[in-house]
Amino acid sequence: MIPVVNDSLARGPAARSPGYRLSPTLALGLSVAAITLGMLLPPTHLPSHAALVCVLLAALSLARVPFGMVARRLAIFLGFALLFAVSVPLSQGFRGGWEIAQGILFRGVESFLSGLWLVSVVPFDRLLATLRRLGVPTILVAILAFMYRFLFVLWKELDTMRAARRARTFDQAGLIFRWRNSAQMIGMLLIRSLGRSERVYGAMCARGWDGTVRTLDE
Amino acid sequence: MSATAPDNPLPDNVLPKSVLPETVLEVSGLSFSYSTGRQALNNVRFTLARGEILGIVGPSGAGKSTLLLHLNGLLPQRPEPTRAATNGAAVHVAGLSVGAANLAEVRRRVGFLFQDPDDQLFCPTVREDVAFGPLNLGLPRAEVERRVIDSLAAVGLDGFEARSTLQLSLGERKRVCLAGVIACQPLVLALDEPFSNLDPRARRTLVDVLRRFEGSQIIATHDLDVVVELCHRVIVLDEGTIRADGAPATVLGDQALMDRHGLEVPLRLQLLRNGQP
Repeated sequence: MIPVVNDSLARGPAARSPGYRLSPTLALGLSVAAITLGMLLPPTHLPSHAALVCVLLAALSLARVPFGMVARRLAIFLGFALLFAVSVPLSQGFRGGWEIAQGILFRGVESFLSGLWLVSVVPFDRLLATLRRLGVPTILVAILAFMYRFLFVLWKELDTMRAARRARTFDQAGLIFRWRNSAQMIGMLLIRSLGRSERVYGAMCARGWDGTVRTLDE
Repeated sequence: MSATAPDNPLPDNVLPKSVLPETVLEVSGLSFSYSTGRQALNNVRFTLARGEILGIVGPSGAGKSTLLLHLNGLLPQRPEPTRAATNGAAVHVAGLSVGAANLAEVRRRVGFLFQDPDDQLFCPTVREDVAFGPLNLGLPRAEVERRVIDSLAAVGLDGFEARSTLQLSLGERKRVCLAGVIACQPLVLALDEPFSNLDPRARRTLVDVLRRFEGSQIIATHDLDVVVELCHRVIVLDEGTIRADGAPATVLGDQALMDRHGLEVPLRLQLLRNGQP
């Protein structure tokens, strides 16, 4: 069996943490509050943002989310956040825009950590049910549910493809070959995803779906 | 069209006498070509009686899945690239023609189980996924809840309601999919390769579940031993054409027929023919 991503943080070590005993509504409220606080803080005031990040890291620690996991995910997120943040000064020829970039970076990290804490202490299906109960549009909740469900299916497919590639490259592949190969793999994954989406649509139609999202919790 | 075999070592599965020979499904002269021009089905015609279990066998690319997709109205209405020409309403479910005007009712009458359970399981929890079909039927919440519990019990997954669909084995995922289909209480189950990739225990469990289902079934499969064990009748499909239609032991015991269409006489029949129990 090829290992895949952890299917739900909230069913792992976090399930034994104090945060797990919070009601999903309260956990959602706390998470939104942390994000809002980050938005309200002055973008360049480093101590206040650092304090908020420390609080969020402490919350993640209390939720028993392994530090390595937080660091890995944060590193991936930071790559994208940095790219986005730097685009602002870049658009001004690096003569300004650094404050906005700093704000994007701080607030992005805070939102990311807050979201990570939320999905660590609330199982995703309960989170979706809470969002529905709070009146979030059904179609939006359905999109989140689909994304969550098929993220793992596609990740598994990607893992299988990577294993198949490794099995036939015999450790002799150069950097250019690996890049070209990865690009081909991403293309193939996109095609497979399209095929998958068509089959899922067929499966939904086969059970009477008419375009209206209906749930038991409505 | 029926095949005959000189020696029939296994008594055929017969429908119980209590079952009325009422036709629940009629396919008459169905032909279909994909947009690539490949003829997938060619003048296919057969009927299915109430309570009958029909096996569809044939080599890969014979048209088995294409045929099943027509029973539920998923073809030819599917969008590109599989949109293609068919020759009119050639499928009837309990007297109702399969067409755009009747799709909702047709899909209530014919439950479709996809080969890959990941195509069919799209809700976060088992309960929500099994409830998807009944909710689309517009049933009251209490009735939906009852059907979820009953369907999961029918497939041997009592108490799985709150489980995440991500945390199930392949066999369990297939049975949850089946529960989702059964929850709509269809007249006919159309099953596309239900036994593929299952380990022996999961395969045996699924066979037992299907044996208990009281409606009619059409099972497209490469597992010929299960066909001999479970089905009342079998159709050999090759290049979109029905090559044989008859009792499983008779059709699948015909060595020449099996060789012609890239199949093998099931091990079960071979052993019995050689005098082994």
